Formats: sequence, structure tokens, C-alpha cells
Amino acid sequence: MATSTVSRVRRQLPTSPWLFAVPGLVVTGVFILYPFVSTVVNAFTDRRTLIPGEFVGLANFRELLHDDMFWIGLRNSALYVLGVVPALVLLPLLLALLVQKNIPGIAFFRSAFYTPVVASIVVVGLIWVWLLDERGLVNSLLETIGVGRVGFLSDQWLLLLSAMAVTVWKGLGYYMIIYLAALAHVPRELHEAAAVDGAGAVRRFLTVTVPALRSTMVLVAALSSVAAFKVFSEVYLIAGPTGGPAGEDTTLVMLVQRTGTGLTGRVGYASAISLVVFVVTVALMLLVLRADRREES
Amino acid sequence: MPTPSRRTFAVAALAALVLPLSACGSSDDGSGSTDASGKVEGDITFQTWNLRANFKPYFDGLIADFEKKYPGTHVKWIDQPAEGYADKLSADAAGGTLPDVVNVSPDLLAPLVKAGLALDLDKAAAKYRPEYLDGAWTGQQIPGVGGTYAFPWYLNTGPMFYNKGLFKKAGLDPDSPPKTYDELFTDALQMAQKSNGKVATLANVPTVEDFGRYGVELMNKQGTGFAFNDAKGVELLTKYKELYDAKALDPQALTATPESSGKMFLTEAVAMNPGSALDLENFKKQAPNLYKNIGITDQITSTGHVNMYVMGVMVNSRTKHTPAAVAFAHYVTDAQNQMSFAKQVAIFPSTAGSLDDPYFTKEDGTDETRVRIAAAKSLKNAVNYTPVLFSDQMKTALRNEVAKALQGKESPKAALDNAVKACDQLLQQQG
Repeated sequence: MATSTVSRVRRQLPTSPWLFAVPGLVVTGVFILYPFVSTVVNAFTDRRTLIPGEFVGLANFRELLHDDMFWIGLRNSALYVLGVVPALVLLPLLLALLVQKNIPGIAFFRSAFYTPVVASIVVVGLIWVWLLDERGLVNSLLETIGVGRVGFLSDQWLLLLSAMAVTVWKGLGYYMIIYLAALAHVPRELHEAAAVDGAGAVRRFLTVTVPALRSTMVLVAALSSVAAFKVFSEVYLIAGPTGGPAGEDTTLVMLVQRTGTGLTGRVGYASAISLVVFVVTVALMLLVLRADRREES
Repeated sequence: MPTPSRRTFAVAALAALVLPLSACGSSDDGSGSTDASGKVEGDITFQTWNLRANFKPYFDGLIADFEKKYPGTHVKWIDQPAEGYADKLSADAAGGTLPDVVNVSPDLLAPLVKAGLALDLDKAAAKYRPEYLDGAWTGQQIPGVGGTYAFPWYLNTGPMFYNKGLFKKAGLDPDSPPKTYDELFTDALQMAQKSNGKVATLANVPTVEDFGRYGVELMNKQGTGFAFNDAKGVELLTKYKELYDAKALDPQALTATPESSGKMFLTEAVAMNPGSALDLENFKKQAPNLYKNIGITDQITSTGHVNMYVMGVMVNSRTKHTPAAVAFAHYVTDAQNQMSFAKQVAIFPSTAGSLDDPYFTKEDGTDETRVRIAAAKSLKNAVNYTPVLFSDQMKTALRNEVAKALQGKESPKAALDNAVKACDQLLQQQG
């Protein structure tokens, strides 16, 4: 009976699956596919915010090669991946192991570690700027213990490191939750068997936990590397709209924002930078997945 | 081996993460009429720049009076926050949703004019020209393009605040603050020396307006290229480098924003900061100790002219109700309404003769009046040093090169040469 009803509906409405998908497809088309195609097209034009451009071939990409700010942006985005990804693969795992056991009061710590994830990045950024200011709390403490003031917000490298610290601090809880979910699926028998064989806690972590979580670690590496390469908010808030002294802390996405927005924005050129970000991000993702596949085989 | 579902998941996640990188609108080519002589009627929108929070009753009254004067008109007032105003304008302009009457500064006006979005008032409203100060009217003209594209609205010239207590501690006369850049450099170095580098005099790197007030020619005579890399410009940047090295210019100046430098002044970490009369109230509430020691002086200038900020009200050339939009833009900026707006806040009318009103010339013993009279006096020979064609991208280019010079990564001469080269290139690209 039920089967015949389904087949009748199917006959009458052959397009019904598509109807269900329409809202999602419309949103994807309007907010993702159209802007993407538009970006690709614009990358080959000299379009400005208020002036429709003309086709210029590869001129924007040739200009990129000679644009110091582009190379600075590429360097900083790459450094961000190198600095942030290892920390975000390892630290949340350790944190998840810490809060994995169901002991009284552990829910408080789990919530506490997760709090930065739900906090507004603007609020978080402002708090960190206040802490790291030349006359802020951290520098006051450093001065009290005799280290002296450190220019967290005036030195280009310290600024970048400070922004990385904020990204890691804010992301810990999010990836911790992913690890907690994965840890729940690690068979307890494996740990027990390893323990019977005389393996200590560190050995069990390396030989049981890590292999069992390998695919989760790859997922975290992939997600965090893409997010790190596209970083904007943390650097913008901590290094300021200028992207640090002389723009030395500018990341590629900041450069897209700075170049392509405003009444005189160079939309064509900014689109070309966006396209580079896209290609590098895809490459990064494929690299992580390939490394995973190689290890598996 | 990875399963297809994992691969699919990875590709989907990748697409969701990396695709939404940018979005662009398209312009609407529909054009309105330039004839403003018809009947004043219809619905129009009016956009202001961060004025609702403090002046809602004033604008509500202004709009009600206009609608009463011209039955059949309806004005919808929208206000945008200060931050990101240019982005909002560009989104509206690109999307064809620019309001009929818009509050703009000349540097925001220029790209809108070049895109053909501003109505030429020399054609549509030339009869109103004698009502305004000549300099204010010509201030709404764009080099290389004929015509005038906005009604002059309010003028402003922020005073310079200084901390008398910090001046005193550094052995400087608190009643004789620096007036010229040379005096500023001498005092600032003394301040840094006496405080062992703990108190800076300034919190901001020099901007294009500083170069102007130092007497540097900002553009060539034809207005086709920048020229602030001359000997005078190099001299100014060299002096700032000395200040930076001596910590007379705050070490965080290279990344400072107006908000962050205002905060530094509030916490008495810097001794001087530009501001407006509105700041006095802020000092009184947030830093009573500073308020007791506050000194007010003119902007630092070596040319005898302070910098003047000019606001305008433009009419969208694609408005469907040109007569109503022109009439309203004129109404907002006419002598009577500018005068009543000036009584709400420390701004100055751009209409002819308004600055001679006793309101701008007669002392009443209060700080606010002192600031107002001093500013009105300096406005009479003030200059708008911000080049109309100086875009945000050019500001960034100059700021980055100035930062390189201050850090010693480039000589002041090389830094300014690079800045001029970058700005010229951007100017050419603007067309």
C-alpha cells in the first residue's frame, strides 16, 4: 500500500526531489555560485566599484607578481597556516583527553574551554588588544617582574604571533568538541588490551589514541588550514586596519578587502587576489587529503 | 583508503569554505532628469552620515517642516554609522539603490561624480550659488570634471587638545602650547626626554593634511599628479622620524586609529590630540582629572591656515523626483537651517555671512563657546588640505610608506617617492 502511494506520488510529481532541493539550491546559487563565477570573470577585467571594467586578460595576475603587498599577504597567510595548524591539531586533542573523563564538575571545564568559540570575535579582539597594549595588563605584569615592556602591538612579528595566539585560543574549544566526539568512538578494549600488554599512558596515546583519531586529525588539519589561510578578523582587529606597521601584517584576505572595497575599489584586481586565495586553499586541502591517503596506504 | 563519502564531504566542506570570497553588484544605468524646475513633489530618501544618534529631533523637525512647506512630498530619512560609510555608499551606488539626497564629503563625492551619479548643480541649481561662501561652493567641484556636485553643508575645523599637567611636568609652559610644527617638534622632544620616553606628545603618524599644513605642495599645479615628495615633504618626515626614535611619537602610532589615539590621550599617555568640541563632554565624564588640566589650542600649522573639513549634500542624478530632491538638499543647507544645526552641535555654516553672527563671535565664558569662537575665527582663512581625489587606497599607500620611513626601513626621501608613485598610479587608474 505504502509502496504504491510512493510510486503514485513519484509518477505524478517526477520533479518532487528537485522541489525539496530548491531552497538550498537557490541559496547556494545566489550566495555562493554566482559570486564565485562573478569573481572569476572580474579577475580578468579592470572593473572598479562604480565603473564596469573591460577584459584585460592576465594583466591583473601579471601585476600581482610585481605587487610587494601581495607577496607580503601571501607570506603572512602561509605563516599563519604554519603557526596555527599544528597548534590546532594537537592542543585541542590534549584538551579533549583532559576533559574526556566523566568526573564531577568536568562539565564546567568543558563549557569554559568552549566559551571563546561562541564569544564575538570583535569583543575577543578588543579584549586582547587591551591586554597586549603597551600600557595594558600583560605589559604591566612584565614590567613588574622586571622584563620590561614588550611591543606586542607595534612589532610586525609579535603582532602576527599575537593574532595567531588569539586564533588558537578561540579555536581550541571547537576542535576539542570534534575530538571528544571521535574519542567516544575509540574502542575501550584496545586501551585495555594495550594496558594488559604493559603500555603506559603515553604509549597508549601514541599507539591507540592517535591512530584511532587519525582521520579526525586530518579533518581538523584540513579545516583549520583553510580557515588559517583565509584569516581576516583576528589580524584586522589586532594589527589594525592598516595591517600592522607599514602593512607588514596584511594577509591575503585583508588585501582583498582593502583593494576591492570602497568607492574607488579595484574590484578586478581584488578578484584576481581572491582567485589566488581560492587556488591555494584548494591546493592546501588536496595536500592534506593526499598526505592522509598516502599514510593510509 | 578514503571512502567516496569522505571525499564528497571534503569537497563539499572545501566548496563551502572557499567559495564565498567575494561578491559584486552591477550598476543601474537608468538616468533621472537634470531639470529641477518642475513641481516639488514625490517620495525621496535622504541619507546622513552618523547623525541620528545625537540629532534625531533636529532632523525630524527639519523633514516635517519641509513636508509642510511642500505638500505632496515625503522624505524618508536613513542614517548610516560613521564606520564603513564609504562601503555603504559604494554598495548602494553599485546596486543602483543610492538614496536621492546624500550627505557626502568631497573625497567621497569624487568617485560618485566620475560614475555619473551626482547631479551637476551648476546646471540644475545655479541660482542658489550666491547663498554660499565661494570657497565652500568651489570645494564641491572635482578637478578635471566641470560643474559643482553638492550643496555645501557644514564646515568644521577640529581644535587641538593638550594636557597642561603633562606640559608642566615636562618643564613646558602650559599656557603657551606649540602653534607651528617647529615648535611642536622642539616641545615633543623635550617631553619625551623629561619623561624618559614614557609620555609621547603625538599618537598619530603624519597624514596628507599634516603635509599640507607644513607647507608642502600636495599636488602639481595641473592637479594631475602628487608632489608631496619635495624637499619640504622630506623635511617633515625626517622630523617625524626623529620624534619616533625619541618616543616623542608613540611607538604604536604606526597602527593607531583615531579611536585608539583618543583613548591614549584620555589615559594621559599622550600629551596632544586633535578632536572636536564634542570631546570635552567625554573628557568631563570619563577622565575628570584630564578635564581639569585640559588645554585647547588651534591645529598645528606652519602655513597660517588650519585644515577645514567640508561636508556636502549631493543629489543623485538618477532620482525620479529631481525638483523635490534639489529643493530638499537646498533646504537642508540653506542659511537658516545651517544656523539652527550649528546651534545643536559645534559645526559651522557654509552659507555667506553666517560666521559673522554673534553666536560665533561673542564670548560667554564657557569652554564650549571658547572652542566655537576660536574655531570660527580660524575657519575664516582655513583651507581644505585633503585633496579631493585622495582615495582610501592612496591614504593607505602614504601611511605604509611613512611607517617604513619611521621604522628606518627606507629613507624619508625614498618612502615619499614610493608613496607619490603609488598614488599617481592609483590616480591614473581612477581615470
